[in-house]
Amino acid sequence: MWMLLSGLLLGWSLGANHTANVFGTGVATGTVSYRAAILLTAVFVAVGAFLEGPKCMSTVGALSRLTPIDAFYCALAAGIMMSLLTFLSFPGSASQAVVGAVIGAGIFSGTADFSKLYKIVVCWACTPFFAILASYTLYRLLGYLLDRTVTSITQRNLIYSVGTIVTGCYGAYCLGSNNVANVTGVYVGAGMLSPFAASLIGGFSIASGVLTYSKKVMMTIGKGIAPLDPFSALVAVLAGAITIHVFTQVGVPVSSSQAIVGAVVGIGISGDVQTVSLRMLTKIGLGWISAPASAALLAYLFIRFDTLETMITFFRHLSPTFGNAPL
Amino acid sequence: MVLERLLSLGKKERDVTEDMRRHIELLCDACKTFKAALENEDRKLMREVIDLERQGDSARRGVISHIYEGAFLPYLRPDLCKFVEVVDEVFDLLKDTATYCLDTDLPEPLRGECVRVALLNFRMSEMLMIAFDAMLKGQDLREKTLAIRIYEKKIDDMKFSIINEAQQIPVSDFWSGKMLSDLISGLTSISNVIEDASDHLQILNLSTR
Repeated sequence: MWMLLSGLLLGWSLGANHTANVFGTGVATGTVSYRAAILLTAVFVAVGAFLEGPKCMSTVGALSRLTPIDAFYCALAAGIMMSLLTFLSFPGSASQAVVGAVIGAGIFSGTADFSKLYKIVVCWACTPFFAILASYTLYRLLGYLLDRTVTSITQRNLIYSVGTIVTGCYGAYCLGSNNVANVTGVYVGAGMLSPFAASLIGGFSIASGVLTYSKKVMMTIGKGIAPLDPFSALVAVLAGAITIHVFTQVGVPVSSSQAIVGAVVGIGISGDVQTVSLRMLTKIGLGWISAPASAALLAYLFIRFDTLETMITFFRHLSPTFGNAPL
Repeated sequence: MVLERLLSLGKKERDVTEDMRRHIELLCDACKTFKAALENEDRKLMREVIDLERQGDSARRGVISHIYEGAFLPYLRPDLCKFVEVVDEVFDLLKDTATYCLDTDLPEPLRGECVRVALLNFRMSEMLMIAFDAMLKGQDLREKTLAIRIYEKKIDDMKFSIINEAQQIPVSDFWSGKMLSDLISGLTSISNVIEDASDHLQILNLSTR
């Protein structure tokens, strides 16, 4: 079971990094306290993973035939590449890194199924555009309805407060349901876990990241989105969540960050097209290539040189008793 | 905090808006009292303006403390506080002008125009009240703020005729001249600050849309 460790680490880092996408604006603007936000996110991520997580599991597992050690290397490669891309401020996604790693492992073993990759790549490309469309439509529709039904400042304030919490919970649910496949999907493909057990373990690992290490990213990302007015922030989170939920039903894990960025762009378009930054779109495009390609290369190299075995041999060379105790 | 906010169904926000309404009502009372005091040369009424300023201060503190206890989204809080502070500036100007009136006798040739300015200030404060109520209901404020701007323009025009008139009045010494000048300046500046308050109401109204 120690091979699950790399997946748990990936889940932990995903939880720490992605909570900001759902409650960042709420916390940064003071609508929700950080403690309440992480508790709500942890609960709804786990519920989402538990109820709808299995829908995306088969997609990741079906890309290649993986052995348990391959699954370990895939999750490790995805985790390392995600951390590196985050460090370099590249908007790479866990979904893209995991899929890239599984394909890399498949290339090595000759079992990579590129016909399944087609559906995934189309979904990745569609994610920001779907989010743009969803946020544009929601912004116009909800704006029209609110202007005609809720005009009082106190009622609006109440709607925005409640809306931020409700959409945050829904966003957390969608994050859990879609992204849990990134964390433990490879183990389902390797036959180590059932989809149900994988959802449960993955959900809890994401929740642990949310609870223990999400504050820094939440404040950084949240303050970046917070200059939006409360209504726009609410629509951005809702549109991002709907986008992720739609792709969960399709069975493809997608990037929640790219969904949120797309949603913010959609709001910019409904107000002023000038807010759409070509630089940001280029960065997303580069993320589509860099995250899966680098994770694929790293997973390939890990498996090719059987890194774990090489390291154990190296340490045994240094100390003959190293690794004798059962892991 | 989350549950409290959800279960109270906007009670804190209602408390804030009620306090803000009371604050503007006090301003209307102060402007009305000032006008009556100036018209009738009633020193007792003039002292009442200073008392009303103190009550206004207490209302302002109530609004600010309610806001910092968590009423309204943090996004709206700076604009709400700013509006209350601007209304408080009107109170301060009224108090200062009332104090000058207590310390100096307004020359008879200026009284008529000054009373008209005080009446327009009172009308502007009433219009601010109407605009505030409209803002609470989410109505369009353009007509109300336009009316306030028109009143302000009228007072601006009157200001120069008052100053011209004042130049003809002999003064006994520097300090009595300065007191008269400060009185006129204070009286004619109130409208500017009320106009600023109405602009902040408009900003508040737009920022929730």
